[in-house]
Amino acid sequence: MNPLSADHTNSAAIVSARGLRRDFGEGEAAVRALDDVSVDLPKGRFTAIMGPSGSGKSTLMHVLAGLDRPTAGTITIDGTELGPLNDAELTRLRRDKLGFVFQFFNLLPVLTAEENILLPLKLAGREADQERKSTLIDAVGLGDRLSHRPAELSGGQQQRVAIARALLSEPAVVFADEPTGNLDTTSSGEVLALLRRAVDEFGQTVAMVTHDPQAAASADRVLVLVDGRIVSDEPARDADQVQSLMRPSAIS
Amino acid sequence: MSAVALRNLAARKLRTLLTSLAIVLGVMMVAGTYILTDTIDSSFERIFTQSNQGVDAVVKTKQAVETDDGTVPPFDASVLHRVERSPGVAVAAGVIADPQVSIIDSDGEPIGGMGAPSFGFSTGPERFDPLTYVEGGPPQADAEIVIDKATADAEGFELGDAIEVAGKAEASEYELAGIATLGEVDSFGGATLALLTLPEAQRITGKRGQFDQITIAADEQTTPEQLTASLSDSLPKTVQAETGEEDVQSQREDIGVFLGFLQTALLVFAGVALFVAAFLIFNTFSITVAQRTREFAMLRTLGAGRRQIIAAVVLEALVIGLLASVLGLAAGIGFSPAVGALFGGVGIDLPTSGTIIELRTVIVSLVIGTAIAVLSALLPALRATRVPPVQGLREGAVLETPRERGRRNVAGVVLSALGLAAMLLGLFGVLSPGELWLGIGAIAVFIGVALLSPRLVTPMASVIGRPLERLRGIPGRIARENAIRNPGRTAVTAAALMIGLALVSFVAIFASGLRSSIEGAIDKTIVGDLFIANSDGFSDIPVGVTDAVAEIDGVATVSPTRYTQNEVEGTEGGGYLTLVDPETAPDVLTLDWEQGSQEVLGELGASEAVIDEKWGTDNGFSVGDEFTARTVSGEELELTVSGTFTDTTDYIGDYAASDANAAAYGEERNATSVLVNLAAGSDAAAVRSEIEAAVGERFPTIETQDQQQLKDSIGEQLNTLLGVVYALLFLAVIVSLFGIVNTLALSIHERTRELGLLRAVGTSRSQVRRIVRYEAVITALIGAVLGLALGVVFAVVVSRPLADEGFVLSIPVPTLIALLALAVLAGVLAAIGPARRASRLDVLQALSYE
Ligand SMILES: Nc1ncnc2c1ncn2[C@@H]1O[C@H](COP(=O)(O)OP(=O)(O)OP(=O)(O)O)[C@@H](O)[C@H]1O
Ligand SMILES: [Mg+2]
Repeated sequence: MNPLSADHTNSAAIVSARGLRRDFGEGEAAVRALDDVSVDLPKGRFTAIMGPSGSGKSTLMHVLAGLDRPTAGTITIDGTELGPLNDAELTRLRRDKLGFVFQFFNLLPVLTAEENILLPLKLAGREADQERKSTLIDAVGLGDRLSHRPAELSGGQQQRVAIARALLSEPAVVFADEPTGNLDTTSSGEVLALLRRAVDEFGQTVAMVTHDPQAAASADRVLVLVDGRIVSDEPARDADQVQSLMRPSAIS
Repeated sequence: MSAVALRNLAARKLRTLLTSLAIVLGVMMVAGTYILTDTIDSSFERIFTQSNQGVDAVVKTKQAVETDDGTVPPFDASVLHRVERSPGVAVAAGVIADPQVSIIDSDGEPIGGMGAPSFGFSTGPERFDPLTYVEGGPPQADAEIVIDKATADAEGFELGDAIEVAGKAEASEYELAGIATLGEVDSFGGATLALLTLPEAQRITGKRGQFDQITIAADEQTTPEQLTASLSDSLPKTVQAETGEEDVQSQREDIGVFLGFLQTALLVFAGVALFVAAFLIFNTFSITVAQRTREFAMLRTLGAGRRQIIAAVVLEALVIGLLASVLGLAAGIGFSPAVGALFGGVGIDLPTSGTIIELRTVIVSLVIGTAIAVLSALLPALRATRVPPVQGLREGAVLETPRERGRRNVAGVVLSALGLAAMLLGLFGVLSPGELWLGIGAIAVFIGVALLSPRLVTPMASVIGRPLERLRGIPGRIARENAIRNPGRTAVTAAALMIGLALVSFVAIFASGLRSSIEGAIDKTIVGDLFIANSDGFSDIPVGVTDAVAEIDGVATVSPTRYTQNEVEGTEGGGYLTLVDPETAPDVLTLDWEQGSQEVLGELGASEAVIDEKWGTDNGFSVGDEFTARTVSGEELELTVSGTFTDTTDYIGDYAASDANAAAYGEERNATSVLVNLAAGSDAAAVRSEIEAAVGERFPTIETQDQQQLKDSIGEQLNTLLGVVYALLFLAVIVSLFGIVNTLALSIHERTRELGLLRAVGTSRSQVRRIVRYEAVITALIGAVLGLALGVVFAVVVSRPLADEGFVLSIPVPTLIALLALAVLAGVLAAIGPARRASRLDVLQALSYE
């Protein structure tokens, strides 16, 4: 079954993957974390990736983001095919075209919130667009916390700083791996609202791995992975619908 | 999880290796020092034993005065008749054994490095001849010579060649009649040996009618002890008899004084390296124990006692220490010839045949290396287990409370102050022995500053890091922040480097002060136009040079000076003095008079002396007083003080007396230097080349220098010495570099996830390497700045007592800047390995790292 139907790829795909396979280990212990996955992430859309633990969500995200190389298959991000790129070129691609938000440990503890936000730009030796910076900082709602170190920020605040960092350079796509996995409901809500705004107001493309149907419901579309395969690809409506997509009956 | 565990282990292995390397290097120096000095000692013993084969007793001049080299003047040949008439004597032979008979090479220069003696021996009865003739045989005629094989090989001399030899008479040529070795001994360590007939040996050493020694074999009924006993009864009081074996031992003791000095000096350097190693171990254990605080806390909640945990940490240190000590001991075997070669490289050749490893060497090396490891690990272990288990289980438990920090700062200040006080008290002789207290004080200062340095790290890193940040952007910023994350860690790492650099800069500053003081003194004191001395820089030259130079056109004044040792009653032994020719001395020497004038010098009578003001004050002599000087020949002279002067550089010594007493001082043949004044209007260059050609032909050991050249050559000698000191201190600096590597490696290990994050958001590998490198450079620069500052403080302190003698402190700014640059380089080098590791981290693994 190939659930990849045409109606999800109508807007231009900014990330496009074909026939992705990722094997770990050898012989008896070999694991196929991704098994012939093809997926397009349309520009300006918010995609949630769901699935049981160990289904390959993180692996898919890592491979799509060029943090890991697939055993087979191709990935194209914003017109660039990742396959032929060497480590330095992949690094530059991540710096300039991608944004990341992880579950834990998103910020460098020695830098202030503001410095963390500016980190990728500074690494590139570029100056921030002042207007975008102040709009973002407003949106993130951390104006008075900019000079604080991560240790002085709450978990939700830290995630918001990470999102601001991911958005500042207007990346082609933002990858978020369980960005709310560590947060309470209120903070989760704030983080999700922020990602939603990024898509709606700034036209960003966002891919988010999550376990939480509530979180997935704020996306435009939900992909469900099981055993390294995409088993469902539906528009997201609400938490209940997402929940139902995850049911074993729906999956099998 | 197993991958994580393996990585952990690999990191531990590296840490263990780096930690132990520091001890290996220190122990290597300790072991190498003992092995080297034991080997030299045994080599000399073999040489002396071999030379004394078949000798039951020797008669020599009784040593009247403790001298630095233990040599004694010759005695009258008539003693031989009295020896021959003594009961129990089978054969007795008068011998010349002079350490200043040079063989001249084809370029007309004396062969041999500095320090190594150039022996001239006389032939004697075959039974006493220790030599094995590889070619030819002993000299049969006055025109024949035998030289040692090493020299013949080195210079390509063959039987029948004409060999020029210079002693205290004019140089002569001899026909090479034999090439010899001393039994099994193949190396005299750079010494040369020339064997001549007795009359010729006496002539060329200026010892006509004299012997250096009488060598005696007992008859069959007499033991060596009985022989020396009966000889002692019948001989004049100025000579003494010893058994052959006693003679070997007393020669060994003379060498032993030098070896003891060498040993102490080398052990001091080893101590410095071990001290630095202790810092490194302390730091490593502090870091790893901190990283394991939670593990320890958990063990303790499970019921492990504090002692058990301390024991576990100490056991780890014990194993590291013991292993490293064994390796260090092994490395010492290789290090010993390396140090020998270092000395050889600067012209100090020492005989080293075989490798002597005494039990003492093994024990001291193992005990010291292990003890330092255990002691350095003890404090971190105590500290970690003092944290209450519940608190330790929380993440980021702080091992140091503010109160402790306050106490540590106070301790740092107190220790530094006490250390400085101890140094000063030692220097001014309040505490004795002064060198010991100086050392103890310096150690206290180092520890005190190290205790204080965590406070200094943050501001210093800001100052040093700011330009880096400005120039290098975000990697510079992160590096600076990383450097101050654990101020204690960075501080101890930097402090280890500080020690090495403080000593290097102290030596550099002090040497530069010494040099300018010497140059100043030469400018003021030596007013002669030319300065003639031995080309090796310190051996005597024949006093006959004086007359030879006087014959040259354009020379106005020629004045010989003799620098020698004596014992002045009521003072500490072995003091130096200079004998001058009163008639000519005022024209070539200007003393810095306190009381008296150049006229006093010009009219110096045989029973008068002008004295160093400071020496006089220390011993209660002033103008008009009398003192009694006992000379190396055992004579006693009453001298009246007729003037006092200041002698900054100890150029003159304790006093100057008239060379009318040269014979009494045992110096009639020798001059230390000959000062020359040119006639007005004569061409200096022409006169100099005339001296070098005409006089140099007859006396090939001399070298003629003008004032500038004299200063340059002293500067050169000082630089050579500095080179050796730097080379030995370099090891301590290397140890501290391991410290930087180790700290970086441990920090990187701790920051694995941060590095993963950095890489994920687009930090390139070279940027990661830069972050690590800059942190290393910042740490190294903190160490360097602290080190240079301490070096300056030490130089100021140590030169305090010399200040009133006119010692001028001059700070060699270019050298200090070079040291800073070196520290930067050191940081860059230390960062290579850790930076590479950091940049090669797998991003995903790093991110998922627990
Ligand atoms: N580095 C690796 N080496 C070996 N196997 C791996 C590795 N990374 C992932 N896997 C395996 O690949 C499969 C997919 O893992 P992945 O982390 O992508 O799952 P996930 O969907 O993100 O799970 P979770 O919801 O628990 O985060 C799992 O079976 C996992 O054990
Ligand atoms: Mg996952």
